[in-house]
Amino acid sequence: MNPMLEIQLIAAVTAAACAVPGVFLVLRKMALISDAISHSILPGIVIGFFITHDLASPWLIILAAFSGIITVVLVEMIQKTGLVKEDTAIGLVFPALFSIGVILIAQNANDVHLDVDAVLLGDLAFAPFDRWMVDGSDWGPKGLWIISIILLISLALLVAFYKELKLSTFDLGLSSALGFSPVLIHYGLMSVASVTTVAAFDAVGAILVVALMIAPAATAYLLTVDLKRMLLLSVLFGIASAIGGYWMARLLDASISGSITTVLGLLFLTVYLLAPNKGLIAVLFRQSRQRIEVSLLTFLLHLNNHDSLEERRVAHLQEHINWHRVRANSVLDLAVKNNMIIIEDEVVSLTDKGLEFTERALDYIMTNKDEKIEDMKDDFFLFRG
Amino acid sequence: MMSEKIAVAVDDLTVAYNYKPVLWDIDLSIPEGVLMAIVGPNGAGKSTLIKSILGIIDPIAGSVKIYGKPYSKQRDQVAYVPQKGSVDWDFPTTALDVVMMGTYGALGWIKRPGSKQKKQSLEALEKVGMLAFKNRQISQLSGGQQQRIFLARALVQNAAIYFMDEPFQGVDATTEIAIINILKELRKAGKTVIVVHHDLQTVPEYFDWVTFLNVKHIATGPVKDIFNDDNLTKTYGINYKVAVQQ
Ligand SMILES: Nc1ncnc2c1ncn2[C@@H]1O[C@H](COP(=O)(O)OP(=O)(O)O)[C@@H](O)[C@H]1O
Ligand SMILES: [Mg+2]
Repeated sequence: MNPMLEIQLIAAVTAAACAVPGVFLVLRKMALISDAISHSILPGIVIGFFITHDLASPWLIILAAFSGIITVVLVEMIQKTGLVKEDTAIGLVFPALFSIGVILIAQNANDVHLDVDAVLLGDLAFAPFDRWMVDGSDWGPKGLWIISIILLISLALLVAFYKELKLSTFDLGLSSALGFSPVLIHYGLMSVASVTTVAAFDAVGAILVVALMIAPAATAYLLTVDLKRMLLLSVLFGIASAIGGYWMARLLDASISGSITTVLGLLFLTVYLLAPNKGLIAVLFRQSRQRIEVSLLTFLLHLNNHDSLEERRVAHLQEHINWHRVRANSVLDLAVKNNMIIIEDEVVSLTDKGLEFTERALDYIMTNKDEKIEDMKDDFFLFRG
Repeated sequence: MMSEKIAVAVDDLTVAYNYKPVLWDIDLSIPEGVLMAIVGPNGAGKSTLIKSILGIIDPIAGSVKIYGKPYSKQRDQVAYVPQKGSVDWDFPTTALDVVMMGTYGALGWIKRPGSKQKKQSLEALEKVGMLAFKNRQISQLSGGQQQRIFLARALVQNAAIYFMDEPFQGVDATTEIAIINILKELRKAGKTVIVVHHDLQTVPEYFDWVTFLNVKHIATGPVKDIFNDDNLTKTYGINYKVAVQQ
């Protein structure tokens, strides 16, 4: 395989491996903890490197993952004192551990082949150089093997414990009551997140690990209301950003990790703006429609209450209800389009349908009974909460 | 209808968060077959009591027995409806999927729900009048509909004892009546139903037993015997003039 292809493959598999635990971190509102883990595994990596002198050794991965777990335990211990909140606890733990790692590197700069830049940004471009040789034959980059094995393990765990993960993420209390220990599941997930972080770390650095865990899941969350689809979309977004980022880096002659992070950010931004239901534009559109529909209802109520001919003239209404002309027109249009009013000789009258709508909407607003207006939800934004 | 068997026995239970006791030396025994309200002011420890009975919180001291055995041996006897606010209703899942979670306990680790579990869940949805909403994302349901989904999930657990934490919170009058009717049906079928309840006015109408709780256990017994001004005052601290309709 040529190095170009190998780099893309490593980036893509790393992205997929990060996306899987990332979905659950996002759903558990634990995005910060992935940041903490990715920084505080550093002392584990440095100490592991002293012992093994090999950045791709499984022992190093285990040691570093262990310091990831210690982070989680420390954060929880500090939080349990009740003195500070979770984000503060995270903010206390990971800079402490990270700086221990940085000091260890600085003190042993001569022996250790690590520098802080490489730790934060990683270096995908060099990943293919560290190869796995068996009896003189070349089995490909070590990094690719490691991250692929971790991806397979985490997929196997996901398939086996999908129901437990879903339950304990959605409803901690029931999970515990049914005997699916949330503590066990929590530490299982944290272990997978830590191991994945460590393996991804060497290739892509701390910043990209966090981005690969959180951004694809956060993007997918905006697009779907189904957990399985969210997992699938996250993996796809991760892979697409990895490959897109690689080519962007080549085109601009920029850092691969930096470019992948940028693509992840752009993808999120695009979806955040354009997502059909949860996107910003959709939300703004819905709100403006709801405003018009509230005006419509006010208008229909007014018609219902003032039924003299004089008061139902278009000109009078526009003046009397004191709307901006445009607004009054869009409300009139909406009412006519839905056959709620008829306009004859510049006089507006309520139709039977308009009357029924008014009564039902009023009833809904007073009693908040959802069942009765189910059939109106499709046509009117007003009733969609 | 009511037998002499004790469904739930709580002995000397003390629970604390961060070393601050929120339940103090609770002794409580609940006979089989009652429909019981737990009442007390906000922060009285009602939710904490249920959570400690179900092993969700570790008490500092005391013991809990379900039909004479520890809860961990009796999980299949107990169904639980947590307080609505304790879960994330924006979680990406559907009404049917949430109800299916009620079958997970019987399945145990790793095994997945199949067509049998799906059928049970659909029946439960039908029972609470929510079948038409089975594929609706849970955030698109009203407060009352969400409570019905939770009730359906407990029904699927098909237990002997039901614990429900404020099942009437945020529901409209129709849903409240629908829920209480289902609870009364459960009692008729010989189940024990324990409900954290807020509306003191409806206690005599809905329940046959009541527990007064405010950090300490104040009283437990039949509504007609103990639902009176004296106990209300002890629990809420101020004189409650609640007309007790017998
Ligand atoms: N996770 C927690 N950490 C710290 N304090 C808690 C926690 N949960 C509840 N509390 C406190 O315990 C007391 C009892 O709470 P709770 O059982 O929820 O009361 P209730 O359900 O009767 O309103 C309250 O003072 C509450 O603030
Ligand atoms: Mg409560």
